[in-house]
Amino acid sequence: MRPLNFILSGLGGQGILFMTKALAQTALRKGFPVICAETHGMSQRGGSVISHLRIGDVQSSLVRNGTGHFLISLDETEAYRNLRFLDRNSRIYVNAHERNFPNPESKPILEEMDIVSRSLPAGKIALEMKAPLTANLALLGFFSAYDDGPFTAPEIRETIHRLSPERFREINLNVFDACLQEGIQRHSN
Amino acid sequence: MKEEFLLGNGAIALGLLEGGCHVVTSYPGTPSSEILPEVIRLGKSEHLNTYAEWSTNEKVALDNAYAAAIAGKKAACCMKQVGLNVAADSLMSSAYLGTTGALVIISCDDPGLHSSQTEQDTRLMARLAKVPVLDPSTPQEARQMAKAALELSREFKIPVILRPGIRICHARQNFSWETLKDGDGKASFVKNPSRWAATPRFRMSLHGELNQKLKAISKRFDRLKPFNEHTLGNKMRYPFGIISGGVPYSIVRDLFIETGRTDIPILKLNAPYPFPEKLAAEFMRACKKVLVLEETDSVIEYFLQDRKKVMGRLSGHIPSEGELVPQVIVRALNSILQNLDMETIPIQEYPEIENLTQRLNLPVRKPTLCPGCPHRASFYAIRKTNPKAIFTSDIGCYTLGLNLGGVDTCLDMGAGITMASGFYHAFYQDKVEQPIVATMGDSTFFHSGTPGLINAVYNNARFILVLLDNQITAMTGMQPTPGLGIRADGSPGKIVSLEKVVAGCGVEFLEIVDPYDIPAMITLLKRAKEYVTSPEGGVAVIIARHPCVIADRKNAIPESRPVTITEDCDGCNFCHERFECPGLVKDDTAGRTFVNKSICADCGICPQICPKGAIIGR
Repeated sequence: MRPLNFILSGLGGQGILFMTKALAQTALRKGFPVICAETHGMSQRGGSVISHLRIGDVQSSLVRNGTGHFLISLDETEAYRNLRFLDRNSRIYVNAHERNFPNPESKPILEEMDIVSRSLPAGKIALEMKAPLTANLALLGFFSAYDDGPFTAPEIRETIHRLSPERFREINLNVFDACLQEGIQRHSN
Repeated sequence: MKEEFLLGNGAIALGLLEGGCHVVTSYPGTPSSEILPEVIRLGKSEHLNTYAEWSTNEKVALDNAYAAAIAGKKAACCMKQVGLNVAADSLMSSAYLGTTGALVIISCDDPGLHSSQTEQDTRLMARLAKVPVLDPSTPQEARQMAKAALELSREFKIPVILRPGIRICHARQNFSWETLKDGDGKASFVKNPSRWAATPRFRMSLHGELNQKLKAISKRFDRLKPFNEHTLGNKMRYPFGIISGGVPYSIVRDLFIETGRTDIPILKLNAPYPFPEKLAAEFMRACKKVLVLEETDSVIEYFLQDRKKVMGRLSGHIPSEGELVPQVIVRALNSILQNLDMETIPIQEYPEIENLTQRLNLPVRKPTLCPGCPHRASFYAIRKTNPKAIFTSDIGCYTLGLNLGGVDTCLDMGAGITMASGFYHAFYQDKVEQPIVATMGDSTFFHSGTPGLINAVYNNARFILVLLDNQITAMTGMQPTPGLGIRADGSPGKIVSLEKVVAGCGVEFLEIVDPYDIPAMITLLKRAKEYVTSPEGGVAVIIARHPCVIADRKNAIPESRPVTITEDCDGCNFCHERFECPGLVKDDTAGRTFVNKSICADCGICPQICPKGAIIGR
């Protein structure tokens, strides 16, 4: 099979590594081969952070420009920065308000390439749910609602259940579920 | 069978344990830092008797591992590539002396400078030291190579370098393994002063022995499948072929599979030194032109003597700096294929989207100190009291004091102190009293601070040294320090008192302060300044001690002190320029600053710095 390429981006401290792990482990449990490339070190102190996640029989961990199928970004600016990774017909899931993303300059170019973008103010929702550090789970829940990849929402939810430390499990799943519902509602409208 | 989703560094740890490694030493540095903790974690879960330590620096780590390796043990020593510079003295000498057991040096390279000061290529260090080097293309191969390196080292009684690039170390993949067992062999040391304490006279014959070993290993590398192998067809001739090793090899391999390209043969050289002459010659004979794809410098390319045939970095076909990411490789390859009138690799490129990102002029996201970081408070007080000083600093989180105007220099580990004394003497020679404030973290001080401090005191230098003591090696992922007294495996170690070490270096002005108390730190800095400029003065040392807010939140912020910003804020920007806390956010439309509650650490420091008194505690 041709590899399926994900780019996950955001800023250091937003939980990109957890998000990467959640998707990767879901793929693994379904029996797909996976390789990821993570960012560690200096950039984790609030700098740009990017993870590459490739599902398929590949040896190299980096996604080539123009071959990404999904861009999931916890930060608007970082989403724009990583647009170059995307192929035609790809999808963007971004932590942003719908009216802001994509900006007028980007919109025609994304449309021309048949790139669909879906925005959710994940950070704001996480804050409202009194769990400011769970924007990553909010965005994952939203992504899961669209059934837009090799795995289903219950499969991703199960991985989050397994990966979450005991004391964060309930809130993590609550945030995930809330944004899953939000996504499903929008999807059906 | 056990299964885990491991980092490449975890795979390396697994490979070492599968090879029966008894002793592992390391000093943390991105991208190598996770190897030692993974050795400890996997070793514990498999009930192995593995000795693992965080050593105080890379040279100390290598010497310790070397001793084990001449006591018949299998030993490994892990570091980042610039750490090998620190350990170079041990490396060069240990190559001559050899081992009785095994010694594997794992030096992790950082092409693209994700978290390092140079893009140096460890394979060149291997060439310089005359030791074999293995360069994995995948995490799985890194695991196999860790084990193979131990075997090779023990067989030829020579240190062996394993050089994984950052894309190996920080890749993550699924791994499974059978039950692990302790390595065989008890410690024994047979005295032989003419070898283990060899004087120059004996060293000459040891050098000859080393050269013989390399010759034999080069022959081994000619047929070291699957690390070194080619895809030439029997008696086939080709207009063009590729020689590659390490991470770039996996990229080319995937690219050819993805695009169904089978007409270009590849010679994979993941064991490039000692150079497998015969294997390379066979490949060169079959190809009219050859492109070398290797990271980060040229090693293979230098060994290929037919300059007319070879393309690569030396010929200008491959960039001489930066990471060989897939699009760089495919572009270079296609421009060569075009020149050779060969079919190019069909790939989609979308220049309009790349141009868009450029046009958007996105802000560079600088890393910053965390909300609540005690270093931020220290840098604020230092600048406030010494506005005209030269700020020499060092390697760690506090390098980010750059953003606060509190860091003017950062050369290498330990240079915060040595450059301070260097600046002092350079100015004093011209009778100029230039104020200098050096900063250095506790782990860096234990790593390489003392020789510089002793030198500065001994040679009558005058400057203020602020030791930013957060009792942890923070930047690389919270490894314990000798000052904390906790060892790599979590067991208690003897606490080495930072203040006693400083006093032992002959420092006569030594004070300890909590930098969260900015007025107290300012008072102390003023006293230090007086001491430095007084007739009997010298080096003044202030230990700014406060736990890292990430490693030890409870003790760093024992009591939550939330703040609000009142209408008195007139958007003067002072807090952004001098304090740069991510928790303070400028709202340009409102013309004032707000607190970002979702990341504010409630440390309560910022009310102490607002010149308008607009930030208040609640």
